[in-house]
Amino acid sequence: MLYYILKRLAAGVITVWFIATATFIAMHSVPGDPLMNDKAVSAEIRKNLERKYGLDRPVHEQYFLFLGNMLKGDFGISFTQQNRKVNDIIRDHFPVSATLGVLAILIASTGGVLWGALTAIYRNRLPDIIIMFLVILGISVPSFVFAALGQLLLVNINKLVGYSLIPVAGWGTIWHMLMPSLVLGLGTMALLTRLMRSSMLEVVNEDYIKTARAKGLSPTRIFFRHQLRNAILPVVTVLGPQIAAITTGGFVVELVFAIPGLGRYFVQAVQQLDYTVIMGTTVFYGAFLVFMVIVVDILYGFIDPRVRLQ
Amino acid sequence: MSEHLLEVTNLGVQFATYGGEVKAVRGVDFYVDKGETLAIVGESGCGKSVTVQSLMGLIPMPPGKITSGSATLNGKEILGLPPKQANRFRGVEIGMIFQDPMTSLNPTMTIGDQISETLMVHRGFSYREAFTRSIELLERTRIPEASRRAKQYPFEFSGGMLQRAMIAQSLACNPAILIADEPTTALDVTIQAQILELMAELQRTEEMSIILITHDLAVVARMADRVAVMYAGQIVETGTVDEIFYESAHPYTVGLKEAMPSNRVSRDKALMPILGSPPDLFSPPKGCGYYARCPHAMKVCKHNLPPSFPISDTEHVARCWLQHEDAPKSDHITQAGR
Ligand SMILES: Nc1ncnc2c1ncn2[C@@H]1O[C@H](COP(=O)(O)OP(=O)(O)O)[C@@H](O)[C@H]1O
Ligand code: SF4
Ligand SMILES: [Mg+2]
Repeated sequence: MLYYILKRLAAGVITVWFIATATFIAMHSVPGDPLMNDKAVSAEIRKNLERKYGLDRPVHEQYFLFLGNMLKGDFGISFTQQNRKVNDIIRDHFPVSATLGVLAILIASTGGVLWGALTAIYRNRLPDIIIMFLVILGISVPSFVFAALGQLLLVNINKLVGYSLIPVAGWGTIWHMLMPSLVLGLGTMALLTRLMRSSMLEVVNEDYIKTARAKGLSPTRIFFRHQLRNAILPVVTVLGPQIAAITTGGFVVELVFAIPGLGRYFVQAVQQLDYTVIMGTTVFYGAFLVFMVIVVDILYGFIDPRVRLQ
Repeated sequence: MSEHLLEVTNLGVQFATYGGEVKAVRGVDFYVDKGETLAIVGESGCGKSVTVQSLMGLIPMPPGKITSGSATLNGKEILGLPPKQANRFRGVEIGMIFQDPMTSLNPTMTIGDQISETLMVHRGFSYREAFTRSIELLERTRIPEASRRAKQYPFEFSGGMLQRAMIAQSLACNPAILIADEPTTALDVTIQAQILELMAELQRTEEMSIILITHDLAVVARMADRVAVMYAGQIVETGTVDEIFYESAHPYTVGLKEAMPSNRVSRDKALMPILGSPPDLFSPPKGCGYYARCPHAMKVCKHNLPPSFPISDTEHVARCWLQHEDAPKSDHITQAGR
């Protein structure tokens, strides 16, 4: 197991380095630079600024400087926000995004497993048909639509009870987090439900389920001890990519619900070609994703001994 | 009422499919006594697995349906019971092992835990007691280093070892009957022999009965006390192992024997596989199921289902019109004419 984790971690480091390099190359091959946005600056000021940010150096030097600083955990200073450190931006806003994302993943995965198992039990009967209809909606409707609908729902609930029971936007309490994380997790939940359902239906036909019945185990015991765990495996494998999907989806949801997460800064930075912020946040997000995928892999190893022990 | 340990009468099972009803088992009778081995033998698809699975309540319903018959274990009906009642005898009085040991154990549970589970559920053992007992069971099926092996997962076992573990698991509650559905078909020849040897040995020490399903007459010769030859959902001949081999009364039994590789007396006598294939069970023939392939077929065979004729004053019976007193007498039945 330790070897398995170490292998994943090593692969993770390489992935992050790759993300950093790719971002760097992309940044420097986009026409224009961060200083271009501002009102026309005189050649002299521009030169000073370039020196300040190191833009006057050869590209490869900039690259190694960037990598070196990154290793030290220093992502530099923002180009567009006066003297604000990228590290500070991340520190102030990332926890919000992470909370939102992790909540969304938790809701999506527990919901997906639960609904998927339920539809499999009620296969082709009313609960299955209703849930599978909702699943199709959940997969095909984009999250900003759900975001708007979610807000509308909250507004109506609040109107009904006569006071602000659940806040419609903003961040702070668990009540703020509920609707946005649900909205953000909805698409993934739908996908996982569908996957869990088919996986459950496949597992029922496995020989070892027949063995379990021949052993005289109760249907409940067979369901929990033999079916569920094996059926969850394929669901866990798609969790990694789904975390990435939820991360990017988070940008939109943060915008709609006015959540002070990192997403907003990232989008802004891209619009303004704010090199350091883009690279800093991208690499950071990348590292976070890689970390989450490793967590998922380890989780998978815990469920599937074949992975853990080989 | 009945003095047999297990008695099955007139069992009928069919499956609803898009193509219509598959009549997989059509009126099967047999019994098993204490301590004996009954072999059910026949080509693939003739209904052997469906027969025993319906006893164990393992037929998926739908599409499956038990259309007729009864099965009594110690005089008590066991056919078509709801899971709760079936679980009083499944895994307790009747254990079962399957053809493919590689897929028959839960890949995410240790072998020891899977055996323990049976003991905890049926015997009320604590986990610790059950696990200790599981190790003993693994030792009894001659798995080396049983205490280490018990903590391993199925993927760490070879096919032969897995089948031993399956046997250990099925023995957990000292069943009166072990049903083994082609237990060696998926294994290498040498491993096959070892597993059969183990089963024979355990049968003696545990004093249990075995229902052994196979398509291999060599296995039958080696293991069985009595034999039921099955064809197209029916038992066409049954008797002691000697009667079946030396006084075969049904052309299908003879066909199986002549198709046996070990039966080849000399190099110039070729193997004689039975030509053709079993009939379509969507609309099984009205007469003898073997009619289309039988070298002795007569006019009467086509439209009239042969009843079970007694061959001797023992329990040797065959469903074949050749045994009728008016049938043309021939000294021995062959696949002649080819
Ligand atoms: N679940 C099922 N649905 C439809 N037909 C089935 C099903 N299970 C078995 N059968 C049919 O029943 C017949 C007997 O099968 P089986 O008992 O498995 O044969 P075997 O003698 O090889 O064990 C076959 O024709 C098979 O197609
Ligand atoms: S009943 Fe007729 S067709 Fe059937 S096995 Fe006997 S001789 Fe052959
Ligand atoms: Mg079979």
